[in-house]
Amino acid sequence: MKQTSHAFMQHAEAALADAGKAQRRDLLGLFMPLARDAATARYGDFEALRAHLKRVRTHTTNHLDHYLARFEEASLRNGNQVHFAATPEQLNNTVLSICQAHGARRVAKGKSMVTEETALNEQLLKAGLEVIETDLGEYIIQQAGETPSHIVGPALHKSLPEIRRLFLDRHKLGERSLEQVEDIVAEARSILREQFLQADVGVIGANALIAENGATMLVTNEGNGDLCANLPPVLIVCTTLERILPRAEDAMALQRLLVRSATGQAQTCYTSFYSGPQRDDDVDGPLETHIILLDNKRTDILASDYSEILDCIRCGACLNHCPIYVGVGGHAYGWVYPGPMGSILTPLLSSLEQSNALPNACTSCGRCAEVCPANIPLPDLLRDLRQEENQRQLNSPRLRRGLRVHAWFLRHPALYRRLGAWTMSVLGLLGRRRGALRRLPFAAGWTGTRDFPAPEGGTFMQQYRNRARGGRRRG
Amino acid sequence: MAESARSDILARLRASSSPATKEQIEQELVALGFAGAAALPAADHCIAFMANVLANRGSVELAADRAEAVRVVGRYLYNRFRTHKLVAGNDPRIAAMPWRDAGVLPRFGAAENGDSAALSYARLGVAETGAIVTWTGRANPGRNNLLPEDHLVLVNREDVVANLEDAWRRIRQDLPAGSWPRGITFTAGPSSTADVEAQLVMGAHGPRRWHVILVGATPTEALAEARALSGADAT
Repeated sequence: MKQTSHAFMQHAEAALADAGKAQRRDLLGLFMPLARDAATARYGDFEALRAHLKRVRTHTTNHLDHYLARFEEASLRNGNQVHFAATPEQLNNTVLSICQAHGARRVAKGKSMVTEETALNEQLLKAGLEVIETDLGEYIIQQAGETPSHIVGPALHKSLPEIRRLFLDRHKLGERSLEQVEDIVAEARSILREQFLQADVGVIGANALIAENGATMLVTNEGNGDLCANLPPVLIVCTTLERILPRAEDAMALQRLLVRSATGQAQTCYTSFYSGPQRDDDVDGPLETHIILLDNKRTDILASDYSEILDCIRCGACLNHCPIYVGVGGHAYGWVYPGPMGSILTPLLSSLEQSNALPNACTSCGRCAEVCPANIPLPDLLRDLRQEENQRQLNSPRLRRGLRVHAWFLRHPALYRRLGAWTMSVLGLLGRRRGALRRLPFAAGWTGTRDFPAPEGGTFMQQYRNRARGGRRRG
Repeated sequence: MAESARSDILARLRASSSPATKEQIEQELVALGFAGAAALPAADHCIAFMANVLANRGSVELAADRAEAVRVVGRYLYNRFRTHKLVAGNDPRIAAMPWRDAGVLPRFGAAENGDSAALSYARLGVAETGAIVTWTGRANPGRNNLLPEDHLVLVNREDVVANLEDAWRRIRQDLPAGSWPRGITFTAGPSSTADVEAQLVMGAHGPRRWHVILVGATPTEALAEARALSGADAT
């Protein structure tokens, strides 16, 4: 897909103008964190689980050369063909040449963010293949010609009436009501069932690669990925290097974190470990299986100060908890990965020049880091990207001047405090009657869409000093 | 192209990885240990397992032995489909059951599109998540878990393990070296989706219903307790 991350602000403004969609996002922003909180509380010591996986991840990353070699060896022994792809084009070409070698016409795909990243569908369609997305959300947006707005629920931005109109338009099935969500699911089920049965090639992603036994773990609720892995005669797993974990038990630990953070379940309906093509004892399954390992700059990221972003397990919790993401939705980010994780990954996988708006789409509130099951310091990485943006002078000259003025004041704390206190009392006086200000110099970006609350009760430092004094007296 | 990508990627990884011998890496890994399991809703593994199956929107019945399991399956099929049609893998444990007694004549083999019900004999049940474990092969072709409308699963009481780590310990024990199956699946509920308006709907692509029959001497109070724990009604 064509990247439009540079236009984040314009996308965001347009998204906020659609009140109906904004309301749907607000509801998800309330509901998803509740589901996650309930699930982590039911687990018990979620912190310890997070810390455990972080240690395993760090160990694996430190020795990724060793574990990648082990994974390759084990999966070859299992009868897979293993391919390496340095670039998105190489992955797409590998998939295409496998399809062509089999004279394949129909490709059924399970949900895979990696193939969104490489824009595999476009390439296969160009070559004359039929490609069908089988995850319901992915199927809906494929029919609508859109891109995912969320890495777990790709079509959550669409309302039932919109999907109904889409299905009535796309599926020539005559008169029918399709008024309930159940009707939509049933129609997609019957259409996609045929696709599974007719597909020549199945393409899926992987949630983990297990070095000790060469298996790939697939986590789904719909079972669509499992149908792709069991029915077509050829299976291709498209994945990336950083999914490798040493042992099956480590994949289970990851699964515990992933599913609770994504949907609030203890385990999804299907957690499968696929190891290769049909065995002597099998009566079904693919005859040929391929695993394609994509790098796409990940080895560079691994060697950089941003390596921790590779611990991301794609649960979507940082999206659901981000006030910016919930406010403007996934499409505003202009590429495949939205929200906090996307605002870090997008500049690293493309370039900071193309996407410097994204690290700025952050209030530094820290909620993402609090809930991240992989314990990634997301706000810190976003700040580092903003710093890099400033050093490389990719931001506006006006902003840089403002930052220099701000920095000068911060280095003169007495003056900063005095000026801060003076500004506050002036703003407090000006906004005393309404409790808020309609317009402010240098802050049209804020006051253009909402009032600025009039300050009251003294500056932070004044309050801090008062409280410290009070505390001493009481103590 | 591909070969150069491989050597290039491996060379880059060697440069960013910490130098260590295989033995050192192995020692470090062992020292990391395993993660803790989720808290169980009940101390009794079978009760916790049933409570979690119910929480996963499955249904549960008890069967004291295989003869009763046959009757339970027969009754379920009749109530749901008014037939006794059933497909099951070539699992010797299923083949040895007295199906005629309940008028059920299973077709042994792989499920086809349009089959209403398939029966699997699970290798394991997992109390921690309310999942059952199957693996592909003649005894349970992969598609049997996925194609039918209803997926019925037998699981022996003694095969219910506490948590996911115990499940892997058993999988390694039960699968002799070199006989690793093509696919191992943990199933924890009927196929479901919440992709339209975040509303949960069963039967996305696979089974609409998932019925677990716990085989062995289980008091009926245990099932009542599991129902109460899962918040499901006691009907």
